[in-house]
Amino acid sequence: MDLIFTNLVNGLMLGALYAIVSVGLTLVFGIVKVINFAHGEFLMVAMFLVFFATAYFGVHPYVTLVVVLPLIFGLGMLVQRVLIEPLQDSDEHIMIFATVGLSIAMINLMLMLFGPDIYSTPSSGLRTVVDMGPAMFLTGQLNILIAAIALVGGIHLFLTRTQLGRAIRATGQNRAAAQLMGINVSWVYMVTFGIGVSCVGLAAVLIAPLYPTSPEVGQYFVLLSFVVVVMGGLGSISGALLAAMIIGIVDAFAGFYLGANVKDLVVFGIFLLVLIFRPQGLFGGARNMSHVS
Amino acid sequence: MSSNQTSPTTPAVLRFFGVDNSADKRGALYIFVLLAALLVTPIVVGNDFVYHVFITICLFAGLSTAWNIVGGYAGQLSLGHAMYYGIGAYTGMILVNAGITPWIGMFVGAAVSAVVAALIAYPCFRLKGPFYALASIAFLEVFHVLAIEMKWLTGGATGKMIPLQVGWEWMIFQDRLPSLLIAFGMLCFVLAIAQVIRHRRMGFYLIATRERESAAKAAGIPTVKVRIYAAAMSGALVSMLGTFHAMYLTFIEPDSAFDLIFSIQIVLFALVGGIGTVFGPLLGAILLVPITEISRGLLGASALGLHGFVYGVILMLVVVFMPDGVVSLLPKRARKALDPEQFDDTTGQPIGDTELDAPQLDPIQTKARPPLGDEVLKVDDLVKNFGGLKVTQHVNISLRQGEVLGIIGPNGAGKTTLFNMLSGFLEADSGSVVVMGPDGKPHTPKGVADFVSLGVGRTFQIVQPFAAMTVEENIMVGAFYHHPDVDSARRVAGEIATELGLGRFLHEEAKNLPIGGLKRLEVARVMAMRPRILLLDEVMAGINPSDLVEAIRLIKAIRDTGVSIIAIEHVMRAIMDLSDRVIVINSGAVISEGDPESVVRDEAVIEAYLGKEAGNAEA
Repeated sequence: MDLIFTNLVNGLMLGALYAIVSVGLTLVFGIVKVINFAHGEFLMVAMFLVFFATAYFGVHPYVTLVVVLPLIFGLGMLVQRVLIEPLQDSDEHIMIFATVGLSIAMINLMLMLFGPDIYSTPSSGLRTVVDMGPAMFLTGQLNILIAAIALVGGIHLFLTRTQLGRAIRATGQNRAAAQLMGINVSWVYMVTFGIGVSCVGLAAVLIAPLYPTSPEVGQYFVLLSFVVVVMGGLGSISGALLAAMIIGIVDAFAGFYLGANVKDLVVFGIFLLVLIFRPQGLFGGARNMSHVS
Repeated sequence: MSSNQTSPTTPAVLRFFGVDNSADKRGALYIFVLLAALLVTPIVVGNDFVYHVFITICLFAGLSTAWNIVGGYAGQLSLGHAMYYGIGAYTGMILVNAGITPWIGMFVGAAVSAVVAALIAYPCFRLKGPFYALASIAFLEVFHVLAIEMKWLTGGATGKMIPLQVGWEWMIFQDRLPSLLIAFGMLCFVLAIAQVIRHRRMGFYLIATRERESAAKAAGIPTVKVRIYAAAMSGALVSMLGTFHAMYLTFIEPDSAFDLIFSIQIVLFALVGGIGTVFGPLLGAILLVPITEISRGLLGASALGLHGFVYGVILMLVVVFMPDGVVSLLPKRARKALDPEQFDDTTGQPIGDTELDAPQLDPIQTKARPPLGDEVLKVDDLVKNFGGLKVTQHVNISLRQGEVLGIIGPNGAGKTTLFNMLSGFLEADSGSVVVMGPDGKPHTPKGVADFVSLGVGRTFQIVQPFAAMTVEENIMVGAFYHHPDVDSARRVAGEIATELGLGRFLHEEAKNLPIGGLKRLEVARVMAMRPRILLLDEVMAGINPSDLVEAIRLIKAIRDTGVSIIAIEHVMRAIMDLSDRVIVINSGAVISEGDPESVVRDEAVIEAYLGKEAGNAEA
């Protein structure tokens, strides 16, 4: 019983992490209509930034947020402007290759610069175990859970309550009409892409003290966030949150009872079932079916 | 007139590979020279490293060409093709350990891969673009984990050596030359298969399905089947190369055999060379493989990540600046020789470069009209609801052979929905559609393929040309239904194009036609299927007055060959002129039926179009 409870709590913590990474991915897809295969690489770059900032300035990892967030936001805007925007009206496959190319280039650039080694950001007390009766977790994990809820709530408020948020949603729903209403679509896309990758900037700050940093770290997270995003319904932020929690719990239980490799098998098995039988996601209706003929 | 005509002097062997005319022959010569250079250069240089580079070129060119059958022709972007490579490698290794030669293992692996590919292709058939890519990645990951977990079979995560038994029987050699010969032979084999698929019916079917799935179905293409075939063929070929490469490396491990980056490399060569072209992947591999192999050879371990970085940057540069690949940079003459189907014959220019003036379509000949025959189509009490919306309410239709039935009604009346049920694209909630077959017996078809096989052909309200194909090729897709052979399909397409006044646009890409031409192309494509019952969905909408006269004459000419026609139309002049009978539909129900003159005077009809007030005023 205790084991089940511990796994459940662990699953929720894990799910919160996947949620932070996935929300950005699903936002970019929903608005810019791009599946960013390089999403995980932004996480990886941000984690390196956190590592170096803590290593050279000796600050607490969370403090690095003030540097990491603007840098990642700017990098995201740059990528949107230089790589994605010129391809906006090309075939789907062109867009896939563009972000896949970006992903490979980023991983290998970091491999050239820093090698395949693992870099550990100091834990700064975030690996302290909190023992709450049957459940045990790290303070850092609890912070991730809180941050995830705050982030999803914040993005929701931003999109529904602010002028820019409304412009972003309008652009996502109909680019041409938004343009006619005087919205600077190119700018909206840049901001959206920036916000999307800033989510992994936040994730990086939160997880760098808990997970080792390496050039390939993004790949693991991005594959899982694809699972989450498709399961939640591409473009749906609340769907992503829910799906992230489910995948987190599945991940925790399967990892505990079946081992790390078989766990992947379970997760990708679920992913394939969702893709094949409910490509519009588990929770939404059949409204977003533009991707199937 | 056209060099695309089959010249009688072309040997049968070349014809089999789609080499028909002088331009094709020139292309074949270029390819022959290129391939010869691939084989001869390392032999002349004689250096082990050069051998290695050329073997790797042959390998990747082969993998990429095989990928292109699914990724290019069928347009399904698999990023998981390393899984077939891995299956081939592991099958070969496992069988060698059991004392079976890789020459047999290669085919066993190919069979396994073909089955796996077909099993994957079936459920994934509907997924498009990024979704297909994601699914393929997930399948690759599944195989990766399986290879790690099934230790008793695969040796687990640490991988396994292949026993070093030297000799042709085991595909392992002291020298490099035999490996080069095998790799080169396999490359030629894969290229030959890709070329044959591209230039025969299968290639047309795959591209048509890629371009417009519903139009492809309406043209009688078994869309699911052709994609499964393509996936199985592609998987099997990749697998065979995987077996060879395992023997060449003499060591395999899950991380390199089922590697996502390896998959992406395969795709990269095709993209750089030119996706969907037969020889683009070969060019891509020739250009890129030496860069990475040489950087690896010269810099060794210190270059960790360098070739990956270069690949990534090249990928981005290519998609931004050269999305059609290197093939698009070749001089026009060479391009024309490599892929003559994409070019206009008279100018040798790519069609996109020539401005299309207001087209003068050729006039159409008419014959005398035969009398009406027996009933060929009977619709009985057809009902269809979309949720609470009653789109078709108890509709009854009867159509006689050689008759033209006009269907009119306001926007949203449910006309196109009715057509969708008459052609198998939608299933009715209740009621029946009975089609008199060519055998003289009544049938109740289910699904598009059934309707097509009974001779029901349709056009689409929103034109659905196969945009990347020429007018001739578009019509050929329809003609293949009765003429599986490329030459006779081409002949039939030419005849129909001439008949319908599209003769001069035969080698024009469909996307460059004006709307009047596209509407005609819709009709031409369905006519090539020799339909007995023709459903025309607003073929006159949006065409100019002079085209309208031609279009009316065209439909009369079709009618006079004994084809029965149901036409949805808004252009009243056409309806009045063409129809023997008219049915008026409003809110899903038939509100009036009769000869054209009486229908337009019907009060219910006027009311439906103009409202109750207008109806009263008129009366």
